[in-house]
Amino acid sequence: MLTPTYDYHRPQGLEQAWRLKQELPQAQWIAGGTDLLVQLRSGRRPKPEALISLRSVAELTKIQIGHPVRLGAMVPVAELALHPEIKTRFAALVAAIDVFASQQIRNVATLGGNLCNASPAADTAPPLLVHEARVELTDAGTTRVLALEDFMQGPGETALGPNEILTAVLLDPPATQGRSAFLKKGRTAMDVAVVSVAAFIEMEGEVCRTARLAAGAVAPMPLRLKAAEAILEGAKLTDERLAEAARAATEAVAPIDDLRSSAEYRRHLVGVYVRRAVSECLA
Amino acid sequence: MKAVKTVNKEVTFFLDGHSVSAWVEPHARLIDLLRDQLGQTGTKEGCGEGECGACTVIVERRPINACLYPALEVEGKSVRTVQGLAARGRELTPVQRAFVELGGAQCGFCSPGMIMTATALLESNPQPTDQEIRKALVGNLCRCTGYVQIIESVQRAAAIMSADEDNENNGDNEDKGAHS
Repeated sequence: MLTPTYDYHRPQGLEQAWRLKQELPQAQWIAGGTDLLVQLRSGRRPKPEALISLRSVAELTKIQIGHPVRLGAMVPVAELALHPEIKTRFAALVAAIDVFASQQIRNVATLGGNLCNASPAADTAPPLLVHEARVELTDAGTTRVLALEDFMQGPGETALGPNEILTAVLLDPPATQGRSAFLKKGRTAMDVAVVSVAAFIEMEGEVCRTARLAAGAVAPMPLRLKAAEAILEGAKLTDERLAEAARAATEAVAPIDDLRSSAEYRRHLVGVYVRRAVSECLA
Repeated sequence: MKAVKTVNKEVTFFLDGHSVSAWVEPHARLIDLLRDQLGQTGTKEGCGEGECGACTVIVERRPINACLYPALEVEGKSVRTVQGLAARGRELTPVQRAFVELGGAQCGFCSPGMIMTATALLESNPQPTDQEIRKALVGNLCRCTGYVQIIESVQRAAAIMSADEDNENNGDNEDKGAHS
């Protein structure tokens, strides 16, 4: 059995976590571990001297429904999707969690872990982008809040400082007229996304007041599709308009060829999914 | 790789209803603790990456992959494995009976995980639709059966459990309670 050797700590609060990190500056934070443990065991990530587990840190395990809605970074995603308030307000996020790996993974994986792992295909990122999520980062008492868009910087790369912890995801409750949707194409139900698209649409009569679109697995990181949004906002959402927005989306992405799909197919699909996700919001 | 000297740590948890304490290497996974240290080899390790679900156990009522779960994280928690379902001298559970009767197992390697996932499903959703069964089993791979018999087994188990419940209710036997 090829198991790496490292120490493992389970602080119960943020104070204790900071103290451990001071004693063990080379230690690595760990959330649910469903990506990290695989990376460590396969040797794709260097072994740290210690892991400091954040999943029992009391401050990070709560869901608070207020202004804003505060999702503790260590709440397992399955639990988020069961929360009645989250279900009604953030449909795209719940739809993404519904197709997030398997239930065995969803019961353990966390929102904070999914965002800090920073996969271009992270399932929760496109819906959080269209819900205009912010992330709260803390370093021993100093807290800053960043737009999720600014937090994600590339494959496996984030704005997280060496000692910082992503403590919560903050969301403003969407306008009551707004609807959101999420679509994902994977090779199999379990697989990483080939393409994912999230949409948030708010209508005022026949005219689209707000359009927010985001895509995953089609660029170095999940991204907003702002050119496509601009085509929809202030317009009647006719088939022609949707086709134009879809075309803008395919032009805005920079997909790669890999074992799951060709770049060409990803580019095509992102347009198809933009159209479908918007239609789903209107249905 | 930098050699790190680690000291074993104690973990105390409930394994199939019994309180268990063990000293584990800090980097041990739950599957290592169960199989290598406690000799509970009913739970299988397939891929070791959370893809196949052979190592599925139930922690605090929720199915998880024991190959991705640090052993120290079960501190104070309840862990149920396939070995606790029909403890010595007790009869098979409806899920196990259905898998036996309908050929839900072929080579059997995936069965401990399949059975634990199915058990967790039926405890939270006693009458799942076909689609719900398929969805629940997404994280459990079987390379023999083609899944048809497995899905039929879960359907049969749901039927057995619902019939048992009816009998209990009709028999006015409050002591037995519901399956939970």
